[in-house]
Amino acid sequence: MNRPVWLACILLACAAAALGQVDSEALANSQQDDESWLMYGRNYSAWRYSPLDQIDTGNVGQIAPAWIFQTAESGKFQTTPLVRDGVMYVTGPSNHAWALDLKTGRELWHYSEPVPDDLTLCCGKPNRGFAILGNLLFKVNMQATLVALDATTGDVVWEVESADYRKGYSNTVAPLVVNGMVVVGIAGAEFGTRDFIDAYDAETGERRWRFWTVPGPGEPGNETWGGDSWKRGGASTWITGSYDPELNLIYWGTGNPGPDLDGAPRPGDNLYSDSMLALDADTGELRWHFQFTPHDVHDWDSVADPVLIDVEIDGQPRKALVHANRNGHFYALDRTSGEYLFARAYTEVNWADGMTSAGRPILIPGREPTDEGTLTCPGMGGGHNWHATSYSPQTGLYYFNSGDGCQIYHGATQDFVEGEFYLGSAMENVTGEPREGSILAVDPGTGDRRWRFPLVSPPTSGMLSTGGGLLFAGTLEGYFVALDAADGRLLWRLQTGGPVRAPAITYRFEGRQYVATAAGSAIIAFALPR
Amino acid sequence: MRWRVLTLLVSLAVGAAGQELERSPFHGDETSIGVGKASFRLRCSACHGIHAEGGKGPPLNRGEFAAGNRDVDIYRVIARGVPGTEMPAYGTRNTEENIWRIVAFLRTFEAVGDERVDGNAERGEAIFWGTGGCGGCHKVGRRGASYGPDLTRIGRSRSVQHLREALLDPGKDLPAGYFVVKVVTRDGRTVSGIGSGIDDFSAQLRDASGRLHSFLREDVESIEREFTSLMPSYGESLSDQQQRDLLVYMQALRGEESR
Ligand code: HEC
Ligand code: HEC
Repeated sequence: MNRPVWLACILLACAAAALGQVDSEALANSQQDDESWLMYGRNYSAWRYSPLDQIDTGNVGQIAPAWIFQTAESGKFQTTPLVRDGVMYVTGPSNHAWALDLKTGRELWHYSEPVPDDLTLCCGKPNRGFAILGNLLFKVNMQATLVALDATTGDVVWEVESADYRKGYSNTVAPLVVNGMVVVGIAGAEFGTRDFIDAYDAETGERRWRFWTVPGPGEPGNETWGGDSWKRGGASTWITGSYDPELNLIYWGTGNPGPDLDGAPRPGDNLYSDSMLALDADTGELRWHFQFTPHDVHDWDSVADPVLIDVEIDGQPRKALVHANRNGHFYALDRTSGEYLFARAYTEVNWADGMTSAGRPILIPGREPTDEGTLTCPGMGGGHNWHATSYSPQTGLYYFNSGDGCQIYHGATQDFVEGEFYLGSAMENVTGEPREGSILAVDPGTGDRRWRFPLVSPPTSGMLSTGGGLLFAGTLEGYFVALDAADGRLLWRLQTGGPVRAPAITYRFEGRQYVATAAGSAIIAFALPR
Repeated sequence: MRWRVLTLLVSLAVGAAGQELERSPFHGDETSIGVGKASFRLRCSACHGIHAEGGKGPPLNRGEFAAGNRDVDIYRVIARGVPGTEMPAYGTRNTEENIWRIVAFLRTFEAVGDERVDGNAERGEAIFWGTGGCGGCHKVGRRGASYGPDLTRIGRSRSVQHLREALLDPGKDLPAGYFVVKVVTRDGRTVSGIGSGIDDFSAQLRDASGRLHSFLREDVESIEREFTSLMPSYGESLSDQQQRDLLVYMQALRGEESR
């Protein structure tokens, strides 16, 4: 800690910080805290940028593992670890979690909770991370519960059920702590659930508010669902949102309407599926919404990071929210009002011919799934799916990955049966055309692409940018790489031996900068040689 | 409900869970068949075809099954898979109801039996090991070479249509994991073969003599992955009759040869 900060600390009586406690102020100032990683997106704006610059473009070639922690748990390891006061907190697949000693990588405690056998899941048993407040850690479990753990021991302090998993609900999202509340989403839209965003009291676990992402009868938006299709409308909320403390608004993206590929049972726009929502943090009331893909029939969830940046757009300074959508377009919205600013395709798109002035896609006819199959680009997973993105104020660029290529979408009408997939059929790859991927850097003010790093496979990892001018990412084939954030040049790589499905984090510990990532079923922490 | 009664009457306790019925409890039920069809498309169509017509798996739309023709036989293959083949076991990932609904869907196809090809298996076998040169790249049992896929069980695991396509238009529907890697070295040599791995920084391949090569992208001019076939097309070099003979021979390869 440098001296002025240290002094300010005493003056502001940050006893909590001295004890390693994370209070609301620490969360609000997380961007300045080089020794910690306190939330999913590193700061409330979801930048995933750290000013740390000990590891830079010149010396990154020398970094090497300082320690490796083997979880011995198979399954998709998608976590964003938290770091605070010498300890790393990691959630794993199948309801596991660990606290690790930063000095050695040794385990301090291990939490686990069985996953019920009769849980229906679309996509494995991953978990994307903890949230922290005071000495409590918060995580969701697969069976749609939320638990608070004592950060010192890993003991359960409270536990609540968000929804009944027997009805098709499950959970994987990293919670977001705002104003003493733990905000979480939910998953289940492949099973005909009706989804929501919840806020719970951090101390007691009592629910403070719930926002249904599919409005019920009498609520505005319910008329965008024919018949009683709203009851199974989906609109899951499985990726963490962001928060603007000044506006006191929480931004959270929603997923596909159900059934995914069959629009017939749900005539209308199907609000608020595939939308960005701005909710009043205290009450959960909707302030504005923007729907990216009205009446989606391609499973284009819009849950990807809502990243908050102040940027000039068309010569005007804007409080923007930028978002790379699974439907193949990069969007900028005004985060105060939800006003559409612009959208740009970042990968091959054959279903829309640009947007109206209000941001509604201009549809190209004949791209709906059919029995025989319809070739549509991007394919089902996108485009940019959900993987964590990064904004570097140093380069002024926004980094995200993209799955590139098309798929054949087959539809089929199906009745709803509880506990069964409610998808309305399937996708097929195009023969001889493998789906590939890229890491992209775009100018968030224009959507212009600055560089592209091609990947032979659809992307799996998230992004981290640093003050050392670096972008860290990983690949399905197990490489962990450092690119020059300015031009996308490869500077360093390591074959880790397992797919990198998570975003990396960075922190300073005892004077050294570390970069840590989940890879395979291990956590690896890298640093420069001593 | 009719199927409840059926459950009681015909239930056949098999295995520890005792979950297996003789007949799908959802037999003939429209809603269940619709759900079964949707599940089939989602999980099974990549191999068995979107209309169950077969492809990289056997056709399931012919109303007859090698595994047996009772619902319970079909249930068992789906739940347990076929170990040692590409057919996965779904018993641990899917509910019993889900599998029974898929069975109900598969029973909606009328029995038409295997597609019959007019040819002679013995002559086909002779072509395979002789003029066709197939054995120079393929194994059946312990005989042959392993440049291409092992064909010991190919008659059971593919549709006739797929086998015909493999002969006439190789590369149209490549078996999972098959692709060609073509490397141009700095000194202008081209090395190509069956890819055993490719990533953003390297590629590994097997050449026609069976040798393994590994290249880093930074050390060579280019590395290309191609979804083409290294198998010659036999549309011209073999007569229609010879092609049919080969098909009948391959259809008869059901995995019974010694391994
Ligand atoms: C990865 C490819 C693949 C997938 C996916 C797959 N199968 Fe198969 N299936 C096969 C192959 C190959 C065989 C033949 C196995 C053998 O050699 O006996 C087979 C065999 C079968 C059989 C036995 C056929 C017979 O005549 O006895 C049934 C029934 C079957 N599969 C049903 C299904 C169902 C239902 C699903 C989806 C829930 C499914 N399969 C998914 C590849 C696949
Ligand atoms: C030069 C080597 C070579 C020769 C000769 C060859 N094949 Fe192939 N074959 C392959 C390779 C490699 C594949 C894998 C996919 C591809 O590249 O098409 C294949 C695929 C196949 C398949 C599809 C297998 C599957 O799993 O779907 C069949 C069937 C087949 N060959 C039959 C034959 C027959 C019959 C002959 C002789 C008339 C023959 N092959 C001759 C190399 C060869």
